Amino acid sequence: MNVIPVLIEAITCSDGVVLVDMQSDNCWLSAILVEGDELPTWLTKGAAVSAVFKESELSIAVNLSGKISLRNRLPCTVQKIECGEIMSVVSLKFGQHLIQSAITTRSAKALELNTGLEVTALIKANEVFLVQSIKNAQAPIPHPHQL
Amino acid sequence: MENDVIEIDVQKELVSAHGRMTLTIKVKLLGGELVVLFGESGAGKTTLLRMISGLTNPDRGILKVGNSVWFDSDAGINKPPQERNIGFVFQDYALFPNMSVFNNVAYGQTQGDKCYVNELLQKFGLEELSARKPDKLSGGQRQRVALARALARKPDFLLLDEPLSALDGDIRTSLQNEILKAHGINNATTLLVSHDLTEVFRLAHKVLQIKNGTITGMGKPDQLFLNNQISGKVQITGSIVKIQKQDAFYLLTVVTGMNQILKVTAFQNDIEKLSEGDRVMVFSKAFSPLILKM
Repeated sequence: MNVIPVLIEAITCSDGVVLVDMQSDNCWLSAILVEGDELPTWLTKGAAVSAVFKESELSIAVNLSGKISLRNRLPCTVQKIECGEIMSVVSLKFGQHLIQSAITTRSAKALELNTGLEVTALIKANEVFLVQSIKNAQAPIPHPHQL
Repeated sequence: MENDVIEIDVQKELVSAHGRMTLTIKVKLLGGELVVLFGESGAGKTTLLRMISGLTNPDRGILKVGNSVWFDSDAGINKPPQERNIGFVFQDYALFPNMSVFNNVAYGQTQGDKCYVNELLQKFGLEELSARKPDKLSGGQRQRVALARALARKPDFLLLDEPLSALDGDIRTSLQNEILKAHGINNATTLLVSHDLTEVFRLAHKVLQIKNGTITGMGKPDQLFLNNQISGKVQITGSIVKIQKQDAFYLLTVVTGMNQILKVTAFQNDIEKLSEGDRVMVFSKAFSPLILKM
């Protein structure tokens, strides 16, 4: 899974649905969560937490233009591509962090991805988990109550 | 009764499978609530029910329902079970095999009231079966008889000790509705022992989580289970039985506690920390899973 540190800038609640706006490496990110009646105590404005998302939910765009609903757009540089027959895992440098995207190999080829290429990584807000501070991407899986 | 506060402050030394422990329960309940006692076997849940009903005596403490003192070790008060106006339903039904359904239900009454027995039989869909003996009934039907019998004396307290644990699937679901119905009939304060989260979420106004003889948590099911453990998301725990490299990623086979088999994709950075045999939690956001009625 991908883990990046974020700073919570704003929290908007409507019933049990929570929209969290945050920043990581000067990039705005948002997450939509479904919570119970009360928010976990660590989920507050100003808190430093981790945003977590799965490799297979991270899309890649080259020269993104036009209108698109996804607001989570992470400027990245391609570091490495591991091609399987059907799926490829693309390692991306986002600020100081390394994240990965799993896309089909034919998409990777169509995008003409190669090391050093600047791309935009895209993730839907409902696919972003928030986890109480994980120090780095190599941290162990958090305890369930932190999710 | 409905507005009465039930004050429980009791202690009892017990010898469980894990050794000696002191059951220490201190809690105030509101009359009319449906409270689920949740915890592992041997935590002291059944003993608590037995102490409320008077079948087992606490070593010390107080048990008070409104202004009526049922037990007070210092004052030497100990009301016998028949004076406590309680309905008790056991896991194994405990029906009289030689009595008809009607007579089993009527036996629960302190004063004979055939009309009320018939009313209960009708409410629990037992009218057609009223002349049958328990051995001619299914498990679900037997437990409905046991529920009707427990209600026959119009109890203030309804104590249900894992009443559904011997049943499975659809019967369990329909009996959960019968329990809600039983609770609603005269709004008896109901204590239900269960270690089934489905029951907890469907039935409980309040949950008392009991571990090793003490209350470790109390609250609405959402407060107790969602915020702390599930956090509004899908979480399944299990063990990894197989890790296979597939194409550019890995496929994990995870067997859950419910003996279900999950296939989950994982990536290199996940695999570095995982091996076969590891216990893991598979989780997703509340948005991701699709749902299909079975």
